[in-house]
Amino acid sequence: MINNFKVNSNEIDKFKKISKQEKEFRIKNLNLFNKNGFPNNKSEDWKFSDLRDIVSKNFKKLDVQIINSKSKNTTLIKNFDHNFLVLINGNLSSSNFDFEEKNKIKIKNFYNDNFSDINKYNPLIHLNHALSDTGYSLEIADNYKFKKTLVIYNIFTKELNENILNSRNKIQIGKNSELHTIDLVVNESKNKFMNNVYENVILKENAIYKNICIQNEKSDGFFHKFSKNTLSSKSKYSSFIFPSGLKFNKLDLEFNLEGEGSECNLQAASLLNKNDHQEIKTRINHLVPNCKSYQIVKNVLNTESKGVYQGKIFVKDIAQKTDAYQLSKALLLNDNSEFNSKPELEIYADDVKCSHGSTSGSIDETSIYYLMSRGLNREESVRLLVSGFLNEIIEMIKSNSIKKFVQKKIEEQIHGN
Amino acid sequence: MKNQNINTLEDYKYGFTTDIESIRAPKGLSENSIKFISKMKKEPQWMLDWRLKAFNRLKNLKEPNWQKPKYPKINYQDLYYYSAPKSASEKPKSLDEVDPKLIETYKKLGIPLNEQKRLSGVAVDAVFDSVSVATTYKEELTKKGIIFCSISEAIRNHPDLVKKYLGSVIPLTDHYFATLNSAVFTDGSFVYIPPKVRCPMELSTYFRINASETGQFERTLIIADKGSYVSYLEGCTAPMRDENQLHAANVELVALDDAEIKYSTVQNWYPGDKDGVGGIYNFVTKRGACRGKNSKISWTQVETGSAITWKYPSCILQGDNSVGEFYSIAITNNHQKADTGTKMIHLGKNTKSKIISKGISAGQADNTYRGLVDIGKNASNSRNFTQCDSLLMGNKCGAHTVPYIKNKNSSSTVEHEATTSKINDEQLFYCNQRGMNQEEAVSLIVNGFCKEVLQQLPMEFAVEAQKLVGISLEGSVG
Amino acid sequence: MLEIKNLKASINSRDIIKGLDITIKPGELHAIMGPNGSGKSTLANVLSGKNGYHISGVIQYKGKNLIEIPVDERAQKGIFLAFQYPTEIPGVNTNNFLKTSLNKVRKSKGEKELDTLTFLKIVKEKSAELGIDEKILSRQLNVGFSGGEKKKNEILQMKILDPSFMILDETDSGLDIDALKTIANGVNSSRDKKKSFLVITHYQRLLNYIKPDFVHVLSDGKIVKSGGMELAVELEKTGYKKIK
Ligand SMILES: Nc1ncnc2c1ncn2[C@@H]1O[C@H](COP(=O)(O)OP(=O)(O)OP(=O)(O)O)[C@@H](O)[C@H]1O
Ligand SMILES: [Mg+2]
Repeated sequence: MINNFKVNSNEIDKFKKISKQEKEFRIKNLNLFNKNGFPNNKSEDWKFSDLRDIVSKNFKKLDVQIINSKSKNTTLIKNFDHNFLVLINGNLSSSNFDFEEKNKIKIKNFYNDNFSDINKYNPLIHLNHALSDTGYSLEIADNYKFKKTLVIYNIFTKELNENILNSRNKIQIGKNSELHTIDLVVNESKNKFMNNVYENVILKENAIYKNICIQNEKSDGFFHKFSKNTLSSKSKYSSFIFPSGLKFNKLDLEFNLEGEGSECNLQAASLLNKNDHQEIKTRINHLVPNCKSYQIVKNVLNTESKGVYQGKIFVKDIAQKTDAYQLSKALLLNDNSEFNSKPELEIYADDVKCSHGSTSGSIDETSIYYLMSRGLNREESVRLLVSGFLNEIIEMIKSNSIKKFVQKKIEEQIHGN
Repeated sequence: MKNQNINTLEDYKYGFTTDIESIRAPKGLSENSIKFISKMKKEPQWMLDWRLKAFNRLKNLKEPNWQKPKYPKINYQDLYYYSAPKSASEKPKSLDEVDPKLIETYKKLGIPLNEQKRLSGVAVDAVFDSVSVATTYKEELTKKGIIFCSISEAIRNHPDLVKKYLGSVIPLTDHYFATLNSAVFTDGSFVYIPPKVRCPMELSTYFRINASETGQFERTLIIADKGSYVSYLEGCTAPMRDENQLHAANVELVALDDAEIKYSTVQNWYPGDKDGVGGIYNFVTKRGACRGKNSKISWTQVETGSAITWKYPSCILQGDNSVGEFYSIAITNNHQKADTGTKMIHLGKNTKSKIISKGISAGQADNTYRGLVDIGKNASNSRNFTQCDSLLMGNKCGAHTVPYIKNKNSSSTVEHEATTSKINDEQLFYCNQRGMNQEEAVSLIVNGFCKEVLQQLPMEFAVEAQKLVGISLEGSVG
Repeated sequence: MLEIKNLKASINSRDIIKGLDITIKPGELHAIMGPNGSGKSTLANVLSGKNGYHISGVIQYKGKNLIEIPVDERAQKGIFLAFQYPTEIPGVNTNNFLKTSLNKVRKSKGEKELDTLTFLKIVKEKSAELGIDEKILSRQLNVGFSGGEKKKNEILQMKILDPSFMILDETDSGLDIDALKTIANGVNSSRDKKKSFLVITHYQRLLNYIKPDFVHVLSDGKIVKSGGMELAVELEKTGYKKIK
């Protein structure tokens, strides 16, 4: 139980059968979290998202107990051949790799054996590392390309009510291997709860990882995810994220381009509605020469929503010939909405191409005028322009079937409101 | 010791005469040293109270530490808070002994000979005759009702204006260095432009009477009353060879309805040597309030000196339709560090701001742009455009861009763009092929890169600044 | 004037010039033709001293070996390259640039530096002579210039700097007929007994106006054929295939 948002140290005692080392690691992290509590806007990384304030306004208590509900039948995406993982409240509940060679794939519950890595900055990582006991670990052997997409169903059950879930996931893709995933969030809970995920993605040489993350149902979830991604030489990472609909959502993504010729692409599109608060924070570390990174983040903000983008590109002195680009665009549809951004460059190598742009503002009145002169009413015109604005991102998805699937989700959202 | 100092002071009034080097406040930061300064300046009681209030607040404030450049801890008890200029024996006896570069600068600025002598610190007694040009200007200004004097004079002669506006833009307790300045400021300029008056000339520290050789804690207050216009130049083109000295100036600007203030700075203080020894810590607080409707404040800065610069000339756009501008060139070489930028706080309707920042980093230097654009809920139809470009020369230096952008109004637009790159090899080749050597080519290309900002400077200053750009980068190309 | 012997040049471990010999005497105009990618611009760059090439062989200019001499000094010694793709330099005023350049060249010759007024007078004169609108000189260097304007600007610079050895890299490409005449006029009016030219071109058209003394065909980094004007005429008909 988190009382006054401090975790009682006897929570750690509930983990039976853990090594002394692990216990120490959990206690160390717990103390770190308890020292600072939930971060507030005094801390640079949380400048635009005062989580302490948000938590204290929304929760009287937070239960840290792991909820092990069994799943009802999971509704799978129809007319779309795919492998899948089902996570129930963060817990790996089932998996299916019928389209693949099974011996190339290792899937199991996450087990942490690294007790030396203590995060310096993020209290939510401390909380996660103190309490996490669920999550999955997926390892793909060398030289294996997935035949079908892997869909990861993240299901949150009805039982959740003033709980906080802490889970850890790991994906490792071997040399010359390739994996495409879709992360899909399904929320059955009608109550407030928190989900705090720590994710680790490791790409070996020449590996390719493509991920699409869809979370767009309106819900009372408060989500935080820290994702640490390590790219070896010539590996490629691409992620499309379509998050929205959460009371609080912060995606904190760190990319370490450690091998020459590696490449990372990040595309995000969100439509934020009443009471949504969403932050995307990225840090791209260009550590070696000849790497590329590309980020484009689009937000549409409706009544009483808040969007944040904090993106940092770091280029180490030896990382010559870096090509890094970052663009954030926001459309404010209503005066009670707010968009904040901090696009940051920190560069120590001179032979580089680095740039960023950030714009925020109202929807273009001349475009609305044009559409209205063709017979659409104002509302329809706005909707059309909003979907066009977000579609630019969706159009970048290569697979047609996935593109259609995402398009449908976004359209539902635009018209649902 | 203290009493003796005060006696010396009384013997010499305020003029900077040959004996002035003996005038010093007691060492260290204390109520006594503040009282000393106030007394020496013959300040009224309210001014002393104001200073002491700041001093009391200072006790509860901490030095900021969020800036990129870190610096060795300053021992505030080891500083003199009032110190007269170097002793006359160190001063050059005639213009022949003065750095010819300096004289050249003065000539360009059109400063007459006598004035040149005074500015160069040539012993002033015999040479400095009474018909100084500065006085001539002063008469012309007085006719228009313009007040242009040292802040100490203003405190004595125009207390109502000072009371009304001093600290109204930078509150007494704003942050550590600003508060420190409020407690111990020694001198600076005061400008008041009456309604509907267009100041007929560029006002400059060069032409200022009684205000040369101001101390480390300068305080400047400029008020442009309704419908007036003034352009103010702050020149530090003379390299001051001080050792690691702290400069914590405060500059406040107030523009009322339909008024415009243009404030230009060319800062070339001693940056320290090639190994990063010595140099000035330039921790300046500059802020302008566009208080009236249709008012405008424009900051232009060329920062090439100082070991460490922290400086964020800002605009608070309160009045409807007010405009804030920030044009900046920051060049760092060797071990210099600059962390500079601006804050544009949009409060009024239809407010506009524009930020053009050019950072150039060479050697082992670090150059940071840090800025805030904040569009408030009520600032409808407001606009900001920001362009930040950085140029890196070599891979031992760094460029950092840290913009904070907040938009709370859906009818307002914020646009921010930034790039970081090196000087294009093809451009260098083209210049070389036309006979220019590497340094000339770099200077030319960098000046082109900075063009948009240089254009904002008054003509004479622009020429000087262009040369400065070249000089600052000397030795940075292999 | 210029003597090139067994010149080889490579960049990024790619051999581009593969053993090339040319001798250009004072007063001569040599034309170089050759297929795309044969190394013509590379030759022009190497002669003007661009960094980054690995070079062997001899380049004698007025009796001195050039190889170790940096670009700017070669320019001061009178070598001028009219670029195939003149570089844009934002923020730099063309007049200003040209004045700096001219004064560098004059200074190295021991001549007096010019003040702005005299300089502008020369500019006026030369641009009138060539029929080029001097207005482009008050714009930023090559920024937003049309293709033709860039090339004319190169020729105007050439006239003003008054070099003794001029390399024109496809200065005639992409020009309308009037502009082509302007360029040819710029070349012809500069010709005298003491000056030499190396003109890189793809078209006989320019050569009709400027009458080369020699025409060389460069293919795969070597001169594969040399001759007079008749070679250019032949090439225009048959293309490069037959020559290989
Ligand atoms: N820096 C370089 N690195 C690698 N290859 C290069 C480089 N510069 C030129 N090359 C190659 O060398 C060859 C010769 O190039 P060059 O520009 O000299 O051709 P050119 O004869 O001028 O062609 P064009 O008629 O199209 O202008 C080309 O194949 C080109 O791609
Ligand atoms: Mg070519």
